[in-house]
Amino acid sequence: MDFLTTYIALAEIYVLLGLSTNLLVGIVGIFSVSQAAVFGVGAYLTAFLLMHSSTPFPLAILLSAALCILLNIIVTLPSLRVSGDYFVVTSFGIQLLATAVFTNWTGGTGGANGLPGVPAPILFGHEFIEPTEFMLLSTIGMALGCLCFWLIMRAPFGALLRAIREDELAVAALGKSVLRAKVSAAALAGAFAGSAGGLYATFLSFIDPSSFDLDASILLLTMVVVGGARTLAGSVIGPFVLLALPQILALIDIPTTIAAAARQLIYGLLLIVFMLFRPQGLLGEKL
Amino acid sequence: MTAYLQVTDLNKRFGGLQALRDCSFTIAKGRITCLVGPNGAGKTTIFNAITGFLAPDTGHVAFQGTSLDGKTPQQVVRHGIARTFQNLRLFADLTARENVLAGMQDHVGEEPFAAIFRPIHTARTLAAKRLAALDVLAHVGLQDRADTLVRNLSYGEQKLLCIARILATGADLLLLDEPTSGLSGAALTEVMALLRRLQSEGKTLLVVEHNTRVVQQIADDVLFLHHGHLLAHGSPAEIIADPKLAEIYFGGAL
Amino acid sequence: MLWLNLLLNGIVWGCALGMVAVSFSLIFATTRFFHVAHAAVYGLGGYITWSALKHGLPEWAALVVGVAVCAAVGAAIQKLLYERLDRSGATHLVILIASLGLSAVMQNGVAAIYTSNILQFGLPWGNRTTTIGGALLTNTQLLTVVFGLASYAGAMWFAHRTVLGKRMRAVASNPFLAEITRLQPRQVHVAVMAIGSAMVCIPGVLVPLDLGLQPFGGVPILLTATIAVIAGGVGSITGAFLLAVVIAVLQNLSLLIMPGEWSIGITFGIFVIFMLFRPRGLFSS
Repeated sequence: MDFLTTYIALAEIYVLLGLSTNLLVGIVGIFSVSQAAVFGVGAYLTAFLLMHSSTPFPLAILLSAALCILLNIIVTLPSLRVSGDYFVVTSFGIQLLATAVFTNWTGGTGGANGLPGVPAPILFGHEFIEPTEFMLLSTIGMALGCLCFWLIMRAPFGALLRAIREDELAVAALGKSVLRAKVSAAALAGAFAGSAGGLYATFLSFIDPSSFDLDASILLLTMVVVGGARTLAGSVIGPFVLLALPQILALIDIPTTIAAAARQLIYGLLLIVFMLFRPQGLLGEKL
Repeated sequence: MTAYLQVTDLNKRFGGLQALRDCSFTIAKGRITCLVGPNGAGKTTIFNAITGFLAPDTGHVAFQGTSLDGKTPQQVVRHGIARTFQNLRLFADLTARENVLAGMQDHVGEEPFAAIFRPIHTARTLAAKRLAALDVLAHVGLQDRADTLVRNLSYGEQKLLCIARILATGADLLLLDEPTSGLSGAALTEVMALLRRLQSEGKTLLVVEHNTRVVQQIADDVLFLHHGHLLAHGSPAEIIADPKLAEIYFGGAL
Repeated sequence: MLWLNLLLNGIVWGCALGMVAVSFSLIFATTRFFHVAHAAVYGLGGYITWSALKHGLPEWAALVVGVAVCAAVGAAIQKLLYERLDRSGATHLVILIASLGLSAVMQNGVAAIYTSNILQFGLPWGNRTTTIGGALLTNTQLLTVVFGLASYAGAMWFAHRTVLGKRMRAVASNPFLAEITRLQPRQVHVAVMAIGSAMVCIPGVLVPLDLGLQPFGGVPILLTATIAVIAGGVGSITGAFLLAVVIAVLQNLSLLIMPGEWSIGITFGIFVIFMLFRPRGLFSS
C-alpha cells in the first residue's frame, strides 16, 4: 500500500512539473531542457530553509516559488530575444551550469552526497510524515496547480496565448504585448516548478543532484510529449504514465546495472516515436 | 483641412532597394483615402512604418499632433490606429468570435494574476465581452458565424472578419491592406458598403486598393505612390484622368 | 612553467573541440536545425573503434571502421528521422525533441551494451612523449593536433573547392531557391550529415585515447563546441575552429585560478550571460 501511495504522491508532484514544462514548451513554444534545474533550485531552497532556519513550511514553499519565478523569467528571457536554435544551447547551458552548482557547492547543497534529513512538512501543527499523510498535501498541491492552469486557460490570458502561438505579429497588431504574455507564462511555470521542488524535498527527505540533472529534464519533456501539449489532461496523464514505467520495468528481469540506461533509452524512444507518429501526445494538441 | 495623420519625409532602404523615398502626405479626418500605385511601390511598407512594425531610416509620423516615432505596434494601437494584413493573418484555429475578442482591449484576466485570483470577475466580464463581440460581428454581417472556426469561413467572410477584428480594438483610423482583393460580385459590394458605413460612423480609412473601379466609388482622396515616393495626391477623378499616372500604373503592371 | 603546459593542453584540447565544432557547423549551417544527437554520434565513434580494435584490427583500420559507421549512421539519421519529420511539416521544436530523444536512445544504448564504466583503449604508444621546443607532448596529443588541423583544412577544401561543398553552401544560403533549382537540398543534407558524422568520429576516438570512453561524455563537449560555432558566426568554418581553440585555452588557463570542476559551469555561465546581452553572437552588428 505504501508503494502505491508513494507512486501517487510522486506523480502528483510531477504533475506540477508537467504543468510547468507544458506552459513553457507547449504553450510558449520554447524548447527547454532546464526545467529540472529550476525544480532543483526550489527543492534545495526549501530544504535549506527548513534545515537551517525556523521558516514555517508554507512560507518555505512560497519563497521557493518566488525564487523560481524570478529564475525562470531570467532563463527564459534569452529565448524571447533570440531565435530558437540559439536558445537550445542556452537551455542546455543553464542545465549543465545548475548541475555543476548542485554538485560542487558542497556548503549549500551537500554536493554529490546530497542533503539528507530534510524535515517533513508541518502544517497547522501536524507533521506529515507517512506517505499517506503526505499524499494529502501533494494532492492539494496538484489540485491547486491544475485549478490555476484551468483558470488561466479559460480566461482571456489563455486565448491570448493560443493566438500568440498562431501568429505573434497579428497579436502585436491588435495592441497586445507578446513579450509580456510570454514572460507571464514563464513566471507561472517557475512558480509551479518551485513549489514542486519544495514538496519533493520534504516528501523524500533526501535530495541529491541526480534528481535535477539533464536526464531529469528530458524526463519532464517526455512527460509533456507523451501526455500531450497544451492541455490540462495531457499534463496530468503524462507523469502518471511515465512514473509507472520504471515499476513495469522492474517486473521484467533487467540487470540492475543497465536498468537506469534502459529507462532513459525508453524515454528517448518515446520522444522519437511520439514526434514521428503522434505529435499531439495522448491527450493534447499538436506541438 | 486638418492633418489627422501626418507622414513626413519617410525613407527606408532594404539593402539595395529604396522602398520609401522622401515620402510625405497627410490624411484628413473622416475621409476614405485610397493608397494606389504599381506593385512594389511601397504601399505595405508605408503601413508598416505607420503602425510601428518597421522603423524608417529617417522621417516622422504624427497622429492627431502626437508623434508616433519609435512606438511599438502595441502602442500605436493604443493611440487609435489599427491595421489589417494583405495575407489576413487571422487566427485560423480560433472561432470568429475569439478573433474579435482578441482585438478587444483591456480584458480582465489577460494576465495570470487576475485570471487566478479574480476568477469570478474574469468570467463575468468575459461573458459581457463575448456579447459585445457578437455586436461587432453583427456590424460586418457575421453574427451567424460567430462560433465557426476561422478555417471554415469562406474567403469573403474572412476578409470581413479582418475588419471586424480591428474594429474591436476601438481604433479611429483604420489601415486596410487590400480589403477587396480576391473578391467579386456580392462579396465585393458588401465590403464596399461596409467601408462607407464605417466612414459615416466617423471612422477614417486609409485603404490600399488595386481595383480602379472600387477607388472611383469609395475614395474621397487618392494617394499615388511610385518607387516609394508620393507622385500625386488628389480626387479619384483627377488621378484617373492623368495620362502620365495611368501609363505608370498600367505600364508598370504589364 | 605550469602555464605553458596548460596553454599547450588548451591548444591540443582546442583542436579536438575544433573538429567537433567544424563538423557541427557544417551540419547546422546546411540543415538549420539543431542536431543534438551529434553528441551521441561522437560517443558512438569511440566505442565502435574500440570494438574494432578489440577484434584485432590494426589501429588505422579500426579508425576507418569507426569513421565509416558514423558516416552511415549520420546519413541514416537524416534519411529516416529528420527528413521524414521535415516532410510531415514538423516544426523545429518537434525535430529538436526527436533529436534529443535519439541522443538519449543512442547514448543509453551504448551504456547498456558497454556498461557506463570508463573503458580504456590501452594503447601504450599513445602515452610516449616527444619534446618539441622544450614542451612535452604525448603521441596522442600530437595526433590530435595533426588531425585537428587536417580536418579544418579538409573542411575548408570541401566547402570551397568541391562541387558538393558549393552545393552545400548554396543550400545553406537559400534553401528555397535550392529547392526550385536542381541542387536537390535533401540529397545535400544527407551527404553533409554523413560527412559531419564521419568527422566527429575522429575526436570521438582521440579524446578517449587519453581520458577513456564514457557513454555520456558527448553532451558537454558538443555544447562547448556549439558555443564556439555561435560565437564564431554560424556558417564560418574558420570562426568555429578558432573560437574552439580560444575557449579550450581559456578553460585550461582558468585552472590557474580556480578548481577544474567549475570550468564547464563557468563556460556555460559566461555563455548564458552573453546570450542575455549579446544574443546575436560576437561578430554581428
